[in-house]
Amino acid sequence: MTASVLISIRVKGAPERAFDVFTKEIGNWWRPDPLFMITPRGDGTLAFEGGPGGRLVANLPSGNAFEIGRITEWKPGVKLGFGWRHATFAPEQVTHVEVEFEPVGEETRVTVTHYGWTDIPREHAARHGFPDAVTQLRAAEWWRRSLDKLNALSQSA
Amino acid sequence: MKADAALAALADPQRRRAVELLSRGPRRAGELAEALGLSAPAMSRHLKTLKASGLVEETHPEFDARVRVYALRREGLAALKAWVDATDALWAKQLRAFKVRMSE
Repeated sequence: MTASVLISIRVKGAPERAFDVFTKEIGNWWRPDPLFMITPRGDGTLAFEGGPGGRLVANLPSGNAFEIGRITEWKPGVKLGFGWRHATFAPEQVTHVEVEFEPVGEETRVTVTHYGWTDIPREHAARHGFPDAVTQLRAAEWWRRSLDKLNALSQSA
Repeated sequence: MKADAALAALADPQRRRAVELLSRGPRRAGELAEALGLSAPAMSRHLKTLKASGLVEETHPEFDARVRVYALRREGLAALKAWVDATDALWAKQLRAFKVRMSE
């Protein structure tokens, strides 16, 4: 089995369009998953608000908005980064998602990396508007290495 | 989600390092503190968090019940794996939906 949290897919169109559809139209293409609900009342309608320095929210039918995470990186057509927490997460737990858009001929490769935690305190990310790339990279490498190791361990059980 | 506490515990780089060391085999608190360059009280706090998260357990070697040895706990790792699998499945599904939208 694979324990990777890195997923890649190829889509039609240029990276700029892919970025636009990913961000502006997330409310249209997102499919709520009953096994992985963002809030106990469901996912509502997702929306990226405010671009750089903004946030990703779930607008619930009740009229309330749940903040899934702050936007930490906003490079149209290139890269998007945002925090990710479910309503049931522990207060100190913030996971982090990075989405990269790369041109492949006339198509775009979209790669999602979902980190199980972030080393970057929220204040820091908010102040600088972007996460520390080096720290993030280290966390990512550690994550991949460790999961391979953990997998090997639990399979030898 | 059971993995929440495990993920929260791993948000700290020193605790990640401790888990990494423990993945090579059980160790005493003193050995971990030395390897990580931490004081005994600091190590003790980290171990307490790791135990509470379910990732690590305290055991005693047969020859001496007074000696405390820390080891990774398989159930804690299973919760982490479950989180990874669920996250994997979630994004696979969402990216398929996104791909469909991009083809329209």
